Amino acid sequence: MKKRYWRCFVCNDIHYGIAPPELCPTCKVLNAYVEISAEEARRILGGGPATAVGEDDFRAALERFTAGNEFQVNPDPEKVALLLSGIFENERNHGFKFCPCRLRTKDPEEDLRLICPCHFTVHETYKGLPDGECWCGLFVRRK
Amino acid sequence: MAKLIMFHGRECPHCKKMMPLVDRLEQETPVRFERHEVWHDEKNADLMRSYREAIAPKCGQQLRVPTFLNAETKDAVCGEMEFEKLKDWALKQG
Repeated sequence: MKKRYWRCFVCNDIHYGIAPPELCPTCKVLNAYVEISAEEARRILGGGPATAVGEDDFRAALERFTAGNEFQVNPDPEKVALLLSGIFENERNHGFKFCPCRLRTKDPEEDLRLICPCHFTVHETYKGLPDGECWCGLFVRRK
Repeated sequence: MAKLIMFHGRECPHCKKMMPLVDRLEQETPVRFERHEVWHDEKNADLMRSYREAIAPKCGQQLRVPTFLNAETKDAVCGEMEFEKLKDWALKQG
């Protein structure tokens, strides 16, 4: 099924998915989403406040992301610093925070899977392994 | 010797770890790798993409680095590995 754009009619939250959330996570209104065009979504998102995330902010976002999960950011600070520098180099040079340990294919749809954090929990380097980690090693299974 | 290629990324920790092992292998054996950095050199990236059919089945259906490739037979291994494993693979390539 193809993903589409949805806009909350109360607070203008934008959702991208095959179906809208029943409850708007921002304003908590029920059944508030209406389908809109990609162009309208782009205009709304493009006109929003600047939300450029620097390395420190991204690192903090990853800590919050992992806090409720069975994985954590790699405790090796040197490795994390190298990976974050690569992720941000890739964003500057190629437009997205691509994983520094996999090459983009140039197929836009396929390359979305390389944006960090990627869906590494299904990868063979993580799934079912007690010492599982994502391919690049930024995320490791929590002990 | 077969033409062997190492595809690597400048900010990839696995590549960083493998680099001294590749240096050692080249010092101790006649094995030589053409080294191509793929995140900062689009020509190298395109070269790696051109071997996608050979690399992807061995590397989780992706173009992962580091990848070690025999450009003639299209045999490939990828990821961080022990020195002996890399050596065995490289010497087996003939």
